[in-house]
Amino acid sequence: MRDVAIVGAGMVPFGKYQEKTLADIAWPAVKQAVEDAGIKKTDIEATYCGTALGGMMAGQRILKKLGITGLPIINIENACSSSSTAFREGWISVAAGVYDAVLVIGVEKLTKFGGGTLPLEKEDWEVSHGLVMPALYAMRARRYMHEYGLTENDIADVSVKARKHGVWNEDAQFRKEVTREEVLASRPVADPLKLFHCCPSGDGAAAVVICSAEKAKQYSASPIKVIGSEINSGKYMTGYRDMTSPEITLRGAKQLYEEAGIGPEDVDLAEVHDAFAIAELLYYEALGFCAKGDAAKLLADGETSVGGKIPVNPSGGLLSKGHPIGSTGVAQIVEIVRQLRGQCGQRQVEGAKVGLTHCTGGGVSGFDHGVCSIHLFAR
Amino acid sequence: MMSEELQEALNLAGDAVTRDADGTVRLVGSECGDCGKKAYPPSDVCPECMSENLSPIKLSTQGKLYSWSVVHAAPKGWTLPFIAAYVDLPEDVRVFAHIVDADPDSLEIDMEVETRMATLGSDESGAPFESFAFTPVQKGDS
Ligand SMILES: [Zn+2]
Repeated sequence: MRDVAIVGAGMVPFGKYQEKTLADIAWPAVKQAVEDAGIKKTDIEATYCGTALGGMMAGQRILKKLGITGLPIINIENACSSSSTAFREGWISVAAGVYDAVLVIGVEKLTKFGGGTLPLEKEDWEVSHGLVMPALYAMRARRYMHEYGLTENDIADVSVKARKHGVWNEDAQFRKEVTREEVLASRPVADPLKLFHCCPSGDGAAAVVICSAEKAKQYSASPIKVIGSEINSGKYMTGYRDMTSPEITLRGAKQLYEEAGIGPEDVDLAEVHDAFAIAELLYYEALGFCAKGDAAKLLADGETSVGGKIPVNPSGGLLSKGHPIGSTGVAQIVEIVRQLRGQCGQRQVEGAKVGLTHCTGGGVSGFDHGVCSIHLFAR
Repeated sequence: MMSEELQEALNLAGDAVTRDADGTVRLVGSECGDCGKKAYPPSDVCPECMSENLSPIKLSTQGKLYSWSVVHAAPKGWTLPFIAAYVDLPEDVRVFAHIVDADPDSLEIDMEVETRMATLGSDESGAPFESFAFTPVQKGDS
């Protein structure tokens, strides 16, 4: 396998684009990434496009707008990890030497469903009995509160931090700070989770251009190296399982750190899958940023805020930025690229050299999560 | 021994729930004849050893409340709010279910709960649908 680097990144601000088609939401992100890379469109040898609910051949629908056609376009569905999966597939193709340069897209238009909780697969037993994603995370939260003494204030503070970071990100859907009291007073969704503990629904797209490290030099003075790529499915369990410990993330992180030859202490910042506030706390622990049971303290000490030891979700995370599910994986990568290039203004993590992205996908019973993909990047 | 009222409602769990002769609501899972793995809902192939030698098994009617949430947002049809929960049955089987006939403030992690049938919502035509649910075991009840 050869070394791979990102040479171009683009995204559109996440928001509500009800009047636009999926293709019209996405093409500006793709154009931005291609122009950022300074690559000729004819040099792009393949495209991997991730979307969960965007329908058939989303990649073709987007790329015909820009005339990037006549090349392999692979469309990928893996729930909320659709585009982190697409990124990994693109990475494999370049690392293996099949292609020198490929485009990766993440896109979703959730406003077409008219709001509410994410539509899940009705053939699933628990979904057919009323399981919705907020309830699943709420049950994790309640059990964790019971076992580790976590309080509702602690969970609310995750949202407070996310909103604070979001103020500094012009691509974020929410750009206004909230107080702990406002979070706790927002309407209940799935107790103990309130509305402001949940990521907003919306639309969005993000794209990156990746190529072999060798070739990267001709496009970029500061290519961002991919130093680790990992994906896993959850382990299906019919019996008891510990919902305070996200097994798929734990397993994936361990494998990824081993492969990359670094540890969590070497990571300068992370974009993690905070679809609901409780999740971010569980992931501090699973990704090795603190010991089991210490997540609330790490947050309270300011270590995961910009300026702390390990800033988590400087973009504002899914809680501020929004979560058009298929676009999230690549949008996280776009943030890390910009951070490692030092382009992030007020939310810049000073001196960041190594960044991590973590993206999960759930909604199938018996799994902690159906999928999880983690990546490591370095400048 | 289903009442007429219950027969009219659409039963979400189908054959995966039954009643004992005395009316007790009982979940029917599957047990692998080769490796012993139990599962709920029942399956026709074993997720442990891929054997198709599976038979129905009547599961315990009481279990422990692993966690729960009072759900205020769900797709159309569900009667809101409802209490969603995971219940651990002694057979090493975890079941997603609604908790009914309970004040949410009275619920405790790991408390004993027992099976019930309950109406959980209604379809587009307004016809009710029902399924199994759990309710806290009353002290001195078991
Ligand atoms: Zn078996």
